[in-house]
Amino acid sequence: MNNFRYFPNSKRDIAKLYRILGIKDKKELFGKILGGIPLIDGGILKALPEELGEEALYRFFLDIDSNIPAKSRTAVFAGGGIYNHFVPSAIDGLISRSEFYTPYTPYQPEVSQGTLFALFEFQSFIAEILGMDVVNASMYDGAESLAEAVLAAMRLSSANRDMPVSHKDDIILISDGVNPSYVSVIKTFAGGTGVKIGKVKLNGRTGRTGIEDLKQKLAGGGGRVPAVVVQQPNYFGIIEDLEALERLVHSNSNSGYNPGLIVSSTEPYSFGVINPPGYYNADIFAGEGNSFGNYMNFGGPLLGLFAAKKEYVRQMPGRIVGKTKDGKGRDAYAFILSTREQHIRRGAATSNICTNSSLNAVRAAIYLSLCSKSGFKEIASLNLKLAHILRDRLLSSGLFEPLYDGDFFNEFSLKLKINGNKNNNTTASEFIEKMAERGIIAGVAVSESALLISATENNRLSDIEKYAENAKEVLNA
Amino acid sequence: MPKFPGIKGIFLDEDPLIEQGSKGLRGIGIPDCGLKKSDLKKDESEYIDAKYIRKSPPELPEVSEPTVVRHFTRLSSWNMCVDTVFYPLGSCTMKYNPKINEKIAALENIKNLHPLTPARLIQPALKIIDDFNNILCALTGLAEFGFAPQAGAAGEFAGLKIIKKYFDLKGENRKKILVPDSSHGTNPASSVLAGFVPVEIKTGKAGTLDAEELKKFISKDVAGIMITNPNTFGIFEKDIKKIAEIMHKNGSFVYMDGANFNAFLGSARVSDMGIDLIQLNLHKTFSTPHGGGGPGSGALGVVESLREFLPVPYVKKFGGGVSADKNFKRPVYELSEDKKNSIGRMTPFLCNFAVVLRAYAYLLSLGRENIGSVSEIAVLNANYVKKKLGKILSGSDPFEEGFCMHECVFSDKAIEESGVSTIELAKLLIDYGFHPPTVYFPKNIHGAIMIEPTETESVRTLDNFIKAVKEIKFKTKKSKAVKSPQKTKVGRVNEVLANKQPIFKYLV
Repeated sequence: MNNFRYFPNSKRDIAKLYRILGIKDKKELFGKILGGIPLIDGGILKALPEELGEEALYRFFLDIDSNIPAKSRTAVFAGGGIYNHFVPSAIDGLISRSEFYTPYTPYQPEVSQGTLFALFEFQSFIAEILGMDVVNASMYDGAESLAEAVLAAMRLSSANRDMPVSHKDDIILISDGVNPSYVSVIKTFAGGTGVKIGKVKLNGRTGRTGIEDLKQKLAGGGGRVPAVVVQQPNYFGIIEDLEALERLVHSNSNSGYNPGLIVSSTEPYSFGVINPPGYYNADIFAGEGNSFGNYMNFGGPLLGLFAAKKEYVRQMPGRIVGKTKDGKGRDAYAFILSTREQHIRRGAATSNICTNSSLNAVRAAIYLSLCSKSGFKEIASLNLKLAHILRDRLLSSGLFEPLYDGDFFNEFSLKLKINGNKNNNTTASEFIEKMAERGIIAGVAVSESALLISATENNRLSDIEKYAENAKEVLNA
Repeated sequence: MPKFPGIKGIFLDEDPLIEQGSKGLRGIGIPDCGLKKSDLKKDESEYIDAKYIRKSPPELPEVSEPTVVRHFTRLSSWNMCVDTVFYPLGSCTMKYNPKINEKIAALENIKNLHPLTPARLIQPALKIIDDFNNILCALTGLAEFGFAPQAGAAGEFAGLKIIKKYFDLKGENRKKILVPDSSHGTNPASSVLAGFVPVEIKTGKAGTLDAEELKKFISKDVAGIMITNPNTFGIFEKDIKKIAEIMHKNGSFVYMDGANFNAFLGSARVSDMGIDLIQLNLHKTFSTPHGGGGPGSGALGVVESLREFLPVPYVKKFGGGVSADKNFKRPVYELSEDKKNSIGRMTPFLCNFAVVLRAYAYLLSLGRENIGSVSEIAVLNANYVKKKLGKILSGSDPFEEGFCMHECVFSDKAIEESGVSTIELAKLLIDYGFHPPTVYFPKNIHGAIMIEPTETESVRTLDNFIKAVKEIKFKTKKSKAVKSPQKTKVGRVNEVLANKQPIFKYLV
């Protein structure tokens, strides 16, 4: 036993504890408790290095940090579900307050008003951005949130919502424009219910979800359709015609049920420029909120957003903060409608979620406050313009051709032109690898020859020029 | 020095930000990105079809940076947290969150790393996952961990999906998961989500599962058991090996809810208890901050026979020491989807990397010399509280005989005699400057009060807490109890009203 700096009990304190408990040492204590289970010995612990002092530990990670692409020398044009947005310092300053990052879930509202109020503001801001009635206090990430949305829609489609029902005759229609990783997560979650997954093809020219194909699939008799899932903008960056999709989905009752419309998004920043899902009468929105004040962090933690029409609130997963009063009539905040949740309803809960992405949500609330009404719109607009300038620049180089011609926000997809490069056979992945060596994260490969490219306010015109010049060198080498 | 931390001073009030705005203000600097003025001025409809364009921007507050900073700083001051108070929340392991871990997670390149950056350029980041996996395997005795689960409940879900898939592939239709009645609510909820029917087993008088009782539930329909160990009374499941034998003999699995792993960290391996799967809550045992409700990580460990079922993608290591091939002298890490029976994907990218990073830093800080002290001191502290409080709350310790592990639980028997209910005790403790313990859980203890001190509290703090409980028991008037807490930003919150007329957002 030694005095490690995280342990506030001294050797004397520990000796005192043993004395009070009438126990000699650890061996006796654990022996009495664990019976035949052996204590870990030194051999097993060899897998763990010897204690690293704070300075040595920091240098260890500093070394790792300096052997990965340096932010200062890297232009990131990759999106594909996570975007390289600017994070104002005020967020880090505020979030580094222990009062925000070291408490537990605010189950004791009187001593958690700070987190609860901040989450209430988060819900308010996100509801405004999405144009939706009710937003919850966060999910893990966009994909998990979307999978839970599908499950919620399936419950809503059942006559008896409290009973687990078989969904063997149900089919969820998912547009090919939904991020493929999200579709995989939906399959992981919905797999056990027996529900089938049907795909809706994209229009080969525009890249938008094919209206004709959707019409056929809805009429197709593959089963009852609890919900149709689309993404806005879609995986390929294309802005979906939600007006047309909504009309088709909600007016369809071929299977005796009007399907719900679930809209996802990996880039809700787009709703600073384009109409939000609520404007088009979406039933549920489930997507990613990482773009709001959160770092990319190599892909996690992320910020799952979940929103719905208010009539569906009782089928929503996760925690919701509501405004109320205390005994003296002062404004106060608390979790509400907890009877949906696992700690009350156990097996009959709407979800198993407990820990969520609370701190990421508070970051988003701070971020959106800083952006304010005008800033949010202007940054969104800047994204739109930069992406269009980048696409024009790349197309004019003659090395690329468009994959689709539909309207887009800050992300688009291009094909490497056949015969556009000397080798003729540089794949999208090889192109991305070679560009990465030159300090440009050029995009995300979506096929052998096509890639997704995005631009944000963190890219400058000079980065765009650098992209175009390097692409020329890489592809003509 | 005051006897109790208490609460003195002033609470600064704060209006919603939306009410503090003034037209045109904002708190962010917007770059021009080198764009020409003419481009900056262009209307969005010059880029996309006007029918998509949003006419009215979202009503966000219009406020400057100082206003935002003051607002959220004031809000933060209304929270109790681990850094300000003793936070003895049972089953939640509210231990100290080391500051160096925050500094590491804030390293510029790591936090700005795009998850789809080519693997060749990010080898050191991928190596972190592999190294961390190796340490967790040593500490648990299991074969491999999957890092996709974003929190404890997600880990449970992943583990149960694996069990489900295992039997599906074997062509066995096993429907039941056995769950003790004292389990966390997530256990039955995760079982249902994974397509199982949870079946409750009653806990025995000693607070543990009885192997003989378990036998009554065994049939070929049982896929596994979800067992929390130490259980939610803080008591070690003495029969665990016997239970595992019974389950294994039936071809069933033993899933351990690892929420309470702090009791074992560095001292005992779950493989020695016959456990097949466990999720480790990195935001509990491994010191990463709870963040007021998240994020977390629920890394899922499995035995050898279930490795191929883990979620994808995962970090795969090639070469490194064993191969004679020169090219493989240095190990190479890749993000791989190659797990032939994988339950699939759970998250868009790899894992909650920034959480794993902190947990890894925590283990490296402790090192092999100190890690065993975590569970040792945690268990000592809990038993100290159990013994001392047991005297004050006489007749309230349902498991007076024997030792608890990392937490202890009391019923409301003694405080009820003094006219104080469990919820009143919880709220009264706030005015003494302590976060309340977990209350009314587990459900099978009347008015349960569940206390988990962790290894990062001193005897001195525990003594103060015990003194506070003593004062409450012997000196509190009912009239005061019902009105507590009184020193907080707001008093007892009207939850009935909150649920009757729900207000989900600002009414703009």
